[in-house]
Amino acid sequence: MLQNIAIGQYVPGTSFLHRADPRSKMLFIILFAILVFLANNVITYAILIAFTVMTVMLSRLSLAYILKSLRPVWILVLFTVILHVLITKGGEVYFQWGWFSIEEKGVTQAIFISLRVSLLVLVSSLLTLTTSPIDLTEGLERLLGPFGRIGVPVHEIALMMSIALRFIPTLMEETDKIIKAQTARGANFTSGNLIRRAQNLIPIVIPLFISAFRRAEELALAMEARGYRGGVGRTRLRTLTMSWRDGSIALAACVLLLVIGWWRT
Amino acid sequence: MQITFEEVSHVYGVGTPFERLALQDVSINIPSGSFVGIIGQTGSGKSTLIQHVNGLLQPTKGTIRLGDVTVTPTRKLPHESRRNIGLVFQYPEHQLFEETVAKDVAFGPLNFDMPPEMAELRVREALEIVGLDYQEMKDRSPFLLSGGQMRRVAIAGVLAMQPKVLILDEPTAGLDPAGRKAILEAIYRIHREQSLTTLLVTHSMEEAARYADRLIVMAGGKVMLEGKPDEVFAQADTLRELALDVPETVSLISQLNRKLPEEQRLPSSVYREEELISHLLARISDRGER
Repeated sequence: MLQNIAIGQYVPGTSFLHRADPRSKMLFIILFAILVFLANNVITYAILIAFTVMTVMLSRLSLAYILKSLRPVWILVLFTVILHVLITKGGEVYFQWGWFSIEEKGVTQAIFISLRVSLLVLVSSLLTLTTSPIDLTEGLERLLGPFGRIGVPVHEIALMMSIALRFIPTLMEETDKIIKAQTARGANFTSGNLIRRAQNLIPIVIPLFISAFRRAEELALAMEARGYRGGVGRTRLRTLTMSWRDGSIALAACVLLLVIGWWRT
Repeated sequence: MQITFEEVSHVYGVGTPFERLALQDVSINIPSGSFVGIIGQTGSGKSTLIQHVNGLLQPTKGTIRLGDVTVTPTRKLPHESRRNIGLVFQYPEHQLFEETVAKDVAFGPLNFDMPPEMAELRVREALEIVGLDYQEMKDRSPFLLSGGQMRRVAIAGVLAMQPKVLILDEPTAGLDPAGRKAILEAIYRIHREQSLTTLLVTHSMEEAARYADRLIVMAGGKVMLEGKPDEVFAQADTLRELALDVPETVSLISQLNRKLPEEQRLPSSVYREEELISHLLARISDRGER
């Protein structure tokens, strides 16, 4: 049941996106986020949607799998759509029943907001799907490098992030196992009222916390045992290098920026 | 309770890049009251197999019969049936969560709507089976116990439901030899006393040889060998191919037999350590008398 949630999951592969430098992917996502907010009409959104679909194809992952793995996000999107349709007022009235009405502005807002969230989530999920946690951390560390000079603990931040990402699937597996073990002892997680259900979570949450702490302790010990002492003077087994792929990502970014800038109203 | 698998297959992560066939056309029949050892390398499908027995996983294909209940890809195991099938996971102490040992062991019985007084009785019995003193242990926090004690408490948590089928996934992993023996002996004792059907997943051929009256050897999601222990051990070549070994007693028998003349060979059925020792002692004293 939990295996289908894949936020932060890395799917190994050799596609264009897998082999591109993590730094260019991250920078591109920042630019893409700006573009998504610059887009404000049908043409610009159509361009962005087309571009997103193309990017997914470049990753050689199935769109169905990605969409399915982001299920929790879709629930959130659906929620915002409903809120906007019901609350935002203005423009032509489509439907009226007492105080309740659906109006033009609400519908357009709902569409735009949900498109924005979906596009952003889709493209940024491609980053973790196609980049191994090691590459991701190194890219982040190199990108944030300049901030190190003003006292930001860049290496530590990057390390924390990569450990968090690394342990999402592990903790998911662990949760799955604990749920199964408690189900085998007759626990029932799907019936009863809200308070009862919250109580039913205790047999899962407590063992999960304990195992997370245990893992953290073991990891710290294992790192120390292998002589880890922070980022200063640490060398790398593999260093990141830019290639033609990153050139083409930069080119795509420029083209996209110009096109959106031109067509937006 | 009789357990039957008919051409059961299971696929993990259908429709994802991680799709994996974990069980392939498994057909087995486990008679009521037998003690079955399930052996195989990591990833051979043992854990997937046993999770089907208590309905935590549903087959992708095939039929499972548990007593008079049938599980198919579309028909789930009813909640009440779960009580009859106790499953002890690997490292079961990782699922402890209550404030006291007694409360944790009572979790299972209470989930199946047992009255509290009755549940307390069950807790007392279950703790005694695994060799822990009820009065001494009941109010202690399970998190302050030693590893071996935690394991026992967790196993007691399953035994307290008084299942008819007991499934154990490597119950001795990570314990010292004395702890291993104590836990396995306790399991074997209630297996006989309550005539349970017991499934023991293990890496150790020695453990399997000692307790099981049937063996199932798995590899790559398929059942490779199945039968009485001496029948399975006779297939030493196949076992070696699967990177498994015969127990030391069995290899001793075959080494001795190579030296012995035809009419004096040792029977292959005395593979249990004590039986082999007494058999050999009897022979030696026989010869002494002659």
